Amino acid sequence: MDKKTVGSKEGLGLGIIGLGVMLILMPSTAQKIADLEFVQSEPFSILLGAVYVIALFVILAGAIVTFTNFYDTD
Amino acid sequence: MSTEVTTQPRKRSKGIPLSYVVAIIPVAAALNIVGGYINSVLKLPIFLDMIGTMVVAVILGPWWGALVGAITNIVNSFISGPISLPFAVVNVVGALVWGYANKFGWMKKNWSFFLINVLVAFVCSIFAVPIYVFIFGGATGHFSDVMTAAFLAMGQNLVVSVFSSNILVSLADKIISGYVGLAIIEALPENLTTNAKLPKSEGLKKIIIPVVGIIIGVAIILVFLALSSK
Repeated sequence: MDKKTVGSKEGLGLGIIGLGVMLILMPSTAQKIADLEFVQSEPFSILLGAVYVIALFVILAGAIVTFTNFYDTD
Repeated sequence: MSTEVTTQPRKRSKGIPLSYVVAIIPVAAALNIVGGYINSVLKLPIFLDMIGTMVVAVILGPWWGALVGAITNIVNSFISGPISLPFAVVNVVGALVWGYANKFGWMKKNWSFFLINVLVAFVCSIFAVPIYVFIFGGATGHFSDVMTAAFLAMGQNLVVSVFSSNILVSLADKIISGYVGLAIIEALPENLTTNAKLPKSEGLKKIIIPVVGIIIGVAIILVFLALSSK
């Protein structure tokens, strides 16, 4: 029986998709956060900080794709 | 002249059954969401939203854990408001530290497993504190705000106050999450946990070690509560 399997490559791909979904949601979330009573930050600065942090993970994921050997010995 | 071209058989990435992945990732995300919900209802001074992340990061791999972390906070942001979404990066970082520590075999001994949980807490705090300070101005409505206020009243600046309260909460939370996760992984069938390089224990020790770990986490919470009430 040819059972479909997934490995670290697919995990990395889906992890990057998760980061992408977070990026898509960030603009509206930044506005909603700025609307909270106890938050004094502006939506732009919230968005800027969040995008910078998520970008770090995207760069890390890109580095892993570049340098990792996804072919195991077994 | 004939040239013989020898091609190496293409090696495949070590496979995990897709059905297993499809089943376990939503369950882990749901476990995180339920844990976080219980925590917010009971107003506990921890988070409890990384147990599923730890389990998946160890048994499937770091980026699968990162996916669970991202799903958890994205869904939580729809359920409990936008505060959760920026903290998704903290959940992702926790998954990466647990996942790669397992991959490199750094959690094989009891003491190293404990230290990795402490490391996760520390790294998570490093990522969480700027979010607390620069986005939310130091308060998100979590129980740890009480402690932050206490540190501020002592004359500390905002970053130090937030870090001090967050590291205590995070330490208790990650130790509890780590040991609850360990108990869950030990309860899973062996063929599903072949990637896990965790402390090996037999018989009663399988129960005692997670319980001791959880008690340590609870003791840290009690210290936190004692400090907050002063």
